[in-house]
Amino acid sequence: MEEAVKTGIIAFSAAIAISVPALATALAQSRIGAAMAGAVAERPELAGTAIIMVAIPETMVILGLVIAFMITTLNTVAH
Amino acid sequence: MIEKMAKVEILGLKDISMDTVNVIQDLGTLHIEDLSERIASASTKRMTQMAVDPKQADREAALSELRAKVGDLIRDLQPDTECICREDIGQEYDLVWSDNVEVMISRIERMLREVERETRDVVDKKADLTLELARLEKYVPIMQKIQPLAARVAGSPDMASIALIIERKYKAILSYLNEEIGKLTNGESEVVAADVDEESTAALVVFNRRYLKQVHEFLAVQDVNQVRLPSDLAKKPIDQAVAEVRAKMAEIPAKIDEIDRKLEEATGKYSVKLIAARNAIHDRVEAMETLPKFGQTDQVFMISGWLPQESVEPMEEALQESFGDKVMITVTDIREEEEFEDTPVALHNKPFVRYFEAIYLLMKYPKYGTVDPTIVFAIFFPMFFGLMVGDIGYGIIIMILGWLAHKKFREKPLVNMIGYILSVGGAWTIAFGVLYFEFFGDLLEKAFHAWHIHLPLLGTETSTFKFPIIRIDAFEFMLVACCLIGFLHISLGLIIGIVNGVRGKDKKHIIEKAGTLASLIGIVMAISRLIFGWMPMWVVIIGALLFIGGMVGAGIGGGMGGVVESIVGAGNILSYSRLIAIGLASVIMAEVANDLAGQMWGGVFGIMMGLAIAIILHSLNIVIACFSPSIHSLRLHLVESFGKFFEPAKYKYEPFKKTGGEG
Repeated sequence: MEEAVKTGIIAFSAAIAISVPALATALAQSRIGAAMAGAVAERPELAGTAIIMVAIPETMVILGLVIAFMITTLNTVAH
Repeated sequence: MIEKMAKVEILGLKDISMDTVNVIQDLGTLHIEDLSERIASASTKRMTQMAVDPKQADREAALSELRAKVGDLIRDLQPDTECICREDIGQEYDLVWSDNVEVMISRIERMLREVERETRDVVDKKADLTLELARLEKYVPIMQKIQPLAARVAGSPDMASIALIIERKYKAILSYLNEEIGKLTNGESEVVAADVDEESTAALVVFNRRYLKQVHEFLAVQDVNQVRLPSDLAKKPIDQAVAEVRAKMAEIPAKIDEIDRKLEEATGKYSVKLIAARNAIHDRVEAMETLPKFGQTDQVFMISGWLPQESVEPMEEALQESFGDKVMITVTDIREEEEFEDTPVALHNKPFVRYFEAIYLLMKYPKYGTVDPTIVFAIFFPMFFGLMVGDIGYGIIIMILGWLAHKKFREKPLVNMIGYILSVGGAWTIAFGVLYFEFFGDLLEKAFHAWHIHLPLLGTETSTFKFPIIRIDAFEFMLVACCLIGFLHISLGLIIGIVNGVRGKDKKHIIEKAGTLASLIGIVMAISRLIFGWMPMWVVIIGALLFIGGMVGAGIGGGMGGVVESIVGAGNILSYSRLIAIGLASVIMAEVANDLAGQMWGGVFGIMMGLAIAIILHSLNIVIACFSPSIHSLRLHLVESFGKFFEPAKYKYEPFKKTGGEG
């Protein structure tokens, strides 16, 4: 039982580690995306820059994924 | 690499300035400097901006007018430019072109008169017929709606009718019209309506003929669209009018086809001439518009600009041959940092690297005198791409698709470049696929699950290097490997930054970049001992000293920004963890595709369903694999690595040459 609770907490922690940065990334991307869409409408040559700009906040969710994976790996190692 | 340039100044007698421009334009190698600003800010006024001769201005206006006419004719004839041979255009261009502007203008005018004589009437007739057809097409649905309404009043000679067309959103006005016309005609009227289409409603006002004038006057004041048939149909019964409209509509397309055939003949005959004339006019106007960029004294003109060093000699020879001593050229090497700023940049890379110049669609060229990082991009971009996707099957598909796009779209530079880059990325994907032992996900692992070669080369007990590297299992090892690759990538950026500083003789720049590099190395040394326990303890002490010393150096060289940059260096390294994170997403999706397909497997239907699911999901994964890893690989270059050294150029090398307006 105690082991199951421990596993549950680890899984929950991993879920938080990925979900919170995912929400933050989504929020940032929505704003950057809207702004860049406006910029590209006026200056189409900015399309390439726009793609990069939108990709920048993805760092958060990628690091979140890494941390979540490390948390679950810790679980495996603990076993 | 960045092409070596030479600064040149060309001086000559003013009466041959236009001839000199022609020779320079023919050679097409000189990037002309606009001297107007330099002249305006000069303390002495010995040299002024080159004035344009009023006659020249008249000729320029005449050419602009001709350009508009040629453009109109090209639009009328609509030639298929893809099918026209460029050599034919080139030959015709040579026939039209003359160094004497007036001769060129008269040649083009003569040609235009000939084209207009043959095409003007037919083009006008086609326009009239097209307009007529559009008008009649509008009438038909309206008349069809009105026809049954009109039939009801046709039997009573005392009654008159007026057809109206109203926008559907203003349909409510009909009840108002009914009420008001009822008052005008003492109740001897009726308004009936039917919707024509989504936007309009047709209505027929039927009333006693005695009130014709009053009703017409009332409707005129109300600003309602009355349907007015062409005069020859207006007095005919509506049935007959509809029939005649239909007959006319049937005739017009045949007439238009006949005209199109005539126009096609004219297109075949004149399109090359017209395009050549358009190109020649463009180049001539371009040459004329260049004149105000020159400087002049009473007798002499001066052209300043830059040439690739290898083009200096041909320029000297051409000017000597054409004008002898009347034109002089002086050449100076560009050595000083201040001169780097304004020097236009041309890149000259080997074929393999040249395609990767596509990155400069997203950023400016590197500043003259600095290192061209295209080679870094050419090595690391496809490598990162392959590291993230890492699948033999995906790699083969991406490589083939990329190569096909590269070969098929030779005329479209962007697709051609992207195709090449993808095919190189595909090759790296295959290489990493072998390392990960992945073929459409875990198919190989499932087939040879017992086959594991263990090669314990480095790492901790839990992350020993072994072949194959199963990415999900070897996550920690891959994370460390990716961060190490990131460390090398960023360090390379900083080393290029130091080289740029040495070339520009900028000591502060060198200290800043060297300091940042030292602190980065210090952090990595400390981490290697404190987290992974790889190195002896004294490495931590050296690492800490390097970090602090580097931070001080970065502060001396780059101020507060330099200190911050040296501290966030470790954060930049962590950003490379995306290499494994994106890769994991890709491999997990591929495994999901295989598992789902595996669950369906069994029986003919099951096999077909399984195959369909596998094909759909793997295709989706390949499409995602083409975009997401590319974007992240780009980002790692533009933000993490190039951000450490890249200085953008002010100007791209754009030689003054005959382009025909085609870039």
